[in-house]
Amino acid sequence: MSTAASPAAPAATTNPPVQSSVEEPLDLVRLSLDENIYVKLRGDRELRGKLHAFDQHLNMVLGDVEENVTHVDLNPETQEEIVRTTSRKVDMLFVRGDGVILVSPPAKAV
Amino acid sequence: MSSFIPNQIFTTSGSLIDLLDKRLMVVLRDGRKIIGFLRSYDQFANLVLQDSVERIYVKNFYGDIDRGVFLIRGENVVLLGEIDNIKDDDLPLTQLSFEEVVRMRKEEADDRQKKERLRNQLLHNHGFSVDFLDTDLY
Amino acid sequence: MLFYSFFKTLVGQAVTVELKNDLSVTGTLVSVDQFLNIKLDNIRVDNESENPHMMSVKNCFIRGSVVRYVHLPPAAIDTALLQDAARREIQPSTAAVRGA
Repeated sequence: MSTAASPAAPAATTNPPVQSSVEEPLDLVRLSLDENIYVKLRGDRELRGKLHAFDQHLNMVLGDVEENVTHVDLNPETQEEIVRTTSRKVDMLFVRGDGVILVSPPAKAV
Repeated sequence: MSSFIPNQIFTTSGSLIDLLDKRLMVVLRDGRKIIGFLRSYDQFANLVLQDSVERIYVKNFYGDIDRGVFLIRGENVVLLGEIDNIKDDDLPLTQLSFEEVVRMRKEEADDRQKKERLRNQLLHNHGFSVDFLDTDLY
Repeated sequence: MLFYSFFKTLVGQAVTVELKNDLSVTGTLVSVDQFLNIKLDNIRVDNESENPHMMSVKNCFIRGSVVRYVHLPPAAIDTALLQDAARREIQPSTAAVRGA
């Protein structure tokens, strides 16, 4: 987990000078602030929206969100799967981090 | 309890204090609804309810059964709400005996289970793994 | 603590809390704590007929861990300020982990 920093140095002096690099997973999310991201959630839910805030639990606030929920039903007669996605738009949404499966930065989200 | 209320380290204490001794509806993670008087709680939202009843709803009917004193572990609490006695006296629902609503609920559950089983069987035939998660969606 | 502070700024606003059991409760945000437990007043429930138990309830305390989303009033949120706060929030914790 710890890489370059000397273990003896106090936290204050080990503050990384540049914060534009990706050194640990959450840095990727930090670099996505103010960008459109894709979030996959538990319960077959997906979100696309602009990332306004996040924390270490991956709680997030997203703006101009589109949520897609996927349902799988079966037609009892033909035994065919019917995959339905319901979509809705939300202006501003707080998302609790414990439901987050993955976050994808803008490049892949487009 | 009362000894730690004055120095509120945990703000949960602050937000639940005005619900003390009120009649509350507590919704549990397994879907059960308990109504009782809140006598004590802590920072985890562990609760002690007195004179509690369990209420079962089926369609436009409900039934109560006395359950006495409950200590509910906080992690199983979904929400708790203060009962508005005016609203509660004027519910557009009909009260039946507890036994009656239990019977109705069983009928409803059997019906649902039959449909679920069929659907799961079909999904299974198509190579989907089917989890049997009846109520616990958390 | 970022979202704790954030929700404290929204006290008094109307929000909709969507729970993991699909219940949606709309009401005035009264208070929030460090677990993001939420208290709402003057509540209204979407699809009340499917949730008859909420008919007798006027205010409620929702345990933070059962929340899926909170729908927020966009007008009450300064997104630039929020992004700044998020950038500042994440740096100290990163440094602390590295230092440990």
